[in-house]
Amino acid sequence: MDAGIEQLLAEGRHARAFDLVVPAYKDRVFRLAYSILKDRAAAEDAAQETLVRVWKALPGFDGRAALGTWIYAITRNTCLMELRRRRPTVSFDDPDSTEAQHAAASVATGPAEDPERDNLLRLLETLPHNQQEAVRLFYLEDRSYDAVAEQLGMPLGTVKNLLHRARKRLMELARPDEVKAA
Amino acid sequence: MNDPTLIGPCADYEHDLVELHDGALPPERASVVRLHVAQCARCRDWTQAFAALDARLAAELPRPVLTAHFEARLQDRLAALSRPAARGDLNGALEHEHDALLAALRRGARRNALLGAIGWATAMACAFLAARDLLPEMRGALASVPAGTEPWMVFGVVGVAVAIAGLAWSGVRGGLPLPGLVR
Repeated sequence: MDAGIEQLLAEGRHARAFDLVVPAYKDRVFRLAYSILKDRAAAEDAAQETLVRVWKALPGFDGRAALGTWIYAITRNTCLMELRRRRPTVSFDDPDSTEAQHAAASVATGPAEDPERDNLLRLLETLPHNQQEAVRLFYLEDRSYDAVAEQLGMPLGTVKNLLHRARKRLMELARPDEVKAA
Repeated sequence: MNDPTLIGPCADYEHDLVELHDGALPPERASVVRLHVAQCARCRDWTQAFAALDARLAAELPRPVLTAHFEARLQDRLAALSRPAARGDLNGALEHEHDALLAALRRGARRNALLGAIGWATAMACAFLAARDLLPEMRGALASVPAGTEPWMVFGVVGVAVAIAGLAWSGVRGGLPLPGLVR
């Protein structure tokens, strides 16, 4: 697929190439955005923004990087901009904010006494961001190390390490009673 | 039973156990690791606990999908961006600047043509006046002019012809100072 797209780009047929980029990449771009933003609607908006940027920049694509690598880099940048944009607006005054809800829950109960401690998704939230992203993406991409490495722009070994540490930590966190007893 | 997450697997096999479970271990290494797991209770327990966690993650992590109108929404956005009126401030400013430059060039061309015509007419008038003063000396040279023709009339006709030629040349080069004839 990418070879066909890159051939069209080499021939200067950018519009036709973009027509092929959208069906080939929209879902992967969306899943990558979701793994970073952790919000379906925000991820869809980021996927839209990413593809608009790809559309604008496609005539300048020089083929030095693989097309997928280039598109995923744009996706990650778009998501990072969204995260930066959100950061100053996180507020306890906005009860609909996901971050505010999580923060309020942590303040109310404290992480050590959270009654929903065995909730795997909550446990995942306690991991470093890069580990969370790797885990989410790994399962969204049907347990493909290669897909995660390509989309996160990391070496394969780094991805394996991230996933290993994340899941090992989750195994420990998922058994709090035994941990306390020990 | 001991908690495998507290004790953990044999250190030499820990990463391999994970990759074996994920199906990412090379076949020759996978055989070695399977043989070890069959003989090591710690690694076996840890592998089972890991498999349980893996199954839970696969089942419980959300798997969102794009909404049905994603592509239609994208095409709408691209269509809006493609319209000239919506190309953005930069494109609009560039087009405006280009139009202003063309208008200035046209105004300059008209002014140059007008000045050129005035210059030619002035030069012809000066030449005509000078010729009148030189008439007595030039009578001999104008012997071929038909009898009864005043010499200043001859110079006047020549001057007007040269002025017309100058206007025509100016029109070809930069446009006449007449509306609708500017190139």
